[in-house]
Amino acid sequence: MTRPRRGPGALVVGLLVALAVLAGVAVLSIGVGAHAVAPADVVRALLDFDGSSDHLVVRDIRVPRAVLALGAGAALAVAGVLVQVLSRNPLAEPGVLGVTAGAGFAITVGSAVGLASSSLGELLVAVLGAVAATLLVYSVGRGSPLRLVLTGVALSSVLAGVSLGMRLLMPNVFDVYRFWAVGSLAGREQSPNGLPLAVIAVAVVCALLLSRHLDVVALGESTAHGLGANVARVRLAALALITVLAGAATAIAGPILFVGLMVPHLARRLAGASVPWMVAFAAVLGPVLLLVSDIGARVLLPTGEVPVAVVTAFLGGPVLIWAVRRYGAAPL
Amino acid sequence: MPIARSPKIAGALALALAVVAGCGSGDAEQAPAAEAQTRVFTADNGDITIPVAPKRVVATGYAVPAMLEADAPLVGISTWQRGIPLMSDEDRKRYEELPKIAGETAAETNYEAVAQADPDLIVIGVPKPVLADIDLKRLEQIAPVVAIGPSVPSMWRELSRKQADAAGSLAAFDAVRDEYQAKAKKLAEKYAAVLPGLKLGHVGAYGEVAKGNFQREFNGSWGTNVVQDMGATYYGEVKVKGGGSKDVSEYPSIEELPAAFADAEVITYSVKPDGSVPPPVQYALDSPLWKELPAVKAGKVFPLRYTEAATYRSAMRTLDAADEALTPLLNR
Repeated sequence: MTRPRRGPGALVVGLLVALAVLAGVAVLSIGVGAHAVAPADVVRALLDFDGSSDHLVVRDIRVPRAVLALGAGAALAVAGVLVQVLSRNPLAEPGVLGVTAGAGFAITVGSAVGLASSSLGELLVAVLGAVAATLLVYSVGRGSPLRLVLTGVALSSVLAGVSLGMRLLMPNVFDVYRFWAVGSLAGREQSPNGLPLAVIAVAVVCALLLSRHLDVVALGESTAHGLGANVARVRLAALALITVLAGAATAIAGPILFVGLMVPHLARRLAGASVPWMVAFAAVLGPVLLLVSDIGARVLLPTGEVPVAVVTAFLGGPVLIWAVRRYGAAPL
Repeated sequence: MPIARSPKIAGALALALAVVAGCGSGDAEQAPAAEAQTRVFTADNGDITIPVAPKRVVATGYAVPAMLEADAPLVGISTWQRGIPLMSDEDRKRYEELPKIAGETAAETNYEAVAQADPDLIVIGVPKPVLADIDLKRLEQIAPVVAIGPSVPSMWRELSRKQADAAGSLAAFDAVRDEYQAKAKKLAEKYAAVLPGLKLGHVGAYGEVAKGNFQREFNGSWGTNVVQDMGATYYGEVKVKGGGSKDVSEYPSIEELPAAFADAEVITYSVKPDGSVPPPVQYALDSPLWKELPAVKAGKVFPLRYTEAATYRSAMRTLDAADEALTPLLNR
């Protein structure tokens, strides 16, 4: 199914509005939390830090968390756009290529052998698992987008089954996994997230650069060949970016479903058929969705917090039903 | 014909009466009659008719350590990994030798193994909500079942006594209880000039401490109830009572750490039996907010081992560990 291309003026205005919404939501996420901090103190914590508990809450907990939401949200959403365009499947999300299952399997094995006991260990193990799973999926399913998705789904099922068996046999492994498996932005401020966030930033820029070529590939393989595009190289680059983006996001925040499914659909409605604009909108709307969900996660319970993945799943269910009804019988 | 048969029947009856009379004449033969004696016992699953002096007892969950300590006539137990570090050498040897009829969770009950153990009493020591995971009717076909599960953590005193009572092992149980009470009284006297006047707070690691949260335990919780017997008071109460252990402990966001312990003059925190710090506690200890707490600045922060004690003998270890940890308070 194709959508009409929108004029550049409307797209620029739309993106600016989205950026303004993102700025507003980011400010809100720094101001709202379980502990009430007066707005003036929030500003002072950023501009005139005095080391008090209120300022520590803002500077050392909320700001890193907001930055994490920006990075993870952009990564998942952009990876979602790339995987949907690459697989020509509107119901695809980064997890179908085995990235999440690979990271989960690696966390399970890493916990069993004692490699995932620290935040850094958990992060490295998850990245390794995501990369290894994607390489395996690509080596088996590189022939066509459909084969790629089928391989990813099959590998995910196998890895999930083996992981489940290990967790049933080893209660200690289950303890580590169950907290990792529910994606959350809370409690990550002590983790060394600088490098993964930098990798995500570079990968998003690369995705923007690649999106022009994907725009051509999205027209169909023969048409793309006719226009001189190197389809195999573009697919390989897209797959590498999906792995890096989804793997890094999963490593720093755990599995957060639906962001990579929901946001591409919203981006498509705003950007029309242009892949570059879809990537640009996804890079802004992904963080908006994750920040809004995270604010909800902080205030939903009278005591403590809900993991953000629970909130995105709650929002994502209706969107998935909408997507199935909207696109279920028609190709992208 | 009745008349024609009557001499044979009369002879058979006479022989039977003679056998019965003979059986009743000796002490050894009185045992079956004693075994057959029953009483009505009130448990979580209702009023249950059980043997007065059970000879073959199966125990699961929290009933396992209590039954081991009370020298109950056990023929089968569930695994109870979390209690192993708290067991005496003798109890641990017996724990390892006994047939395992269930795993760590209620859902892992092996009904055939229970039947094979041929018990005359089954004592289920799991919380009421978890009882739904057990097919009680199936177990009741094997032997009378009494469910005596924990509610508020500090209730282990009453519940373990009830479990020992069901198994007919009160004498051995009360001996250990008296030993504990004497030890606790001695320590309470030792700390009488210090502990009663202090406000204490406790950071725990029990239950599901999600990322970004910490566990605060109040009076009557796992990490606090034994130290209370030494005269300590863990001030405050939960914001919302959630039933069971959530009546005496809660899981606030890390942002609420300063408010939670603002008035605490002493803070204790749970560590594993080997002294290592569990990840949920380490997260609170590593937070920049922790360093700003008055008790931390005053250097009045102490680790507590064996905080999961649920029997008198294991609680004596907790008393020793608490005495060792809190000794610096006596020197100030």
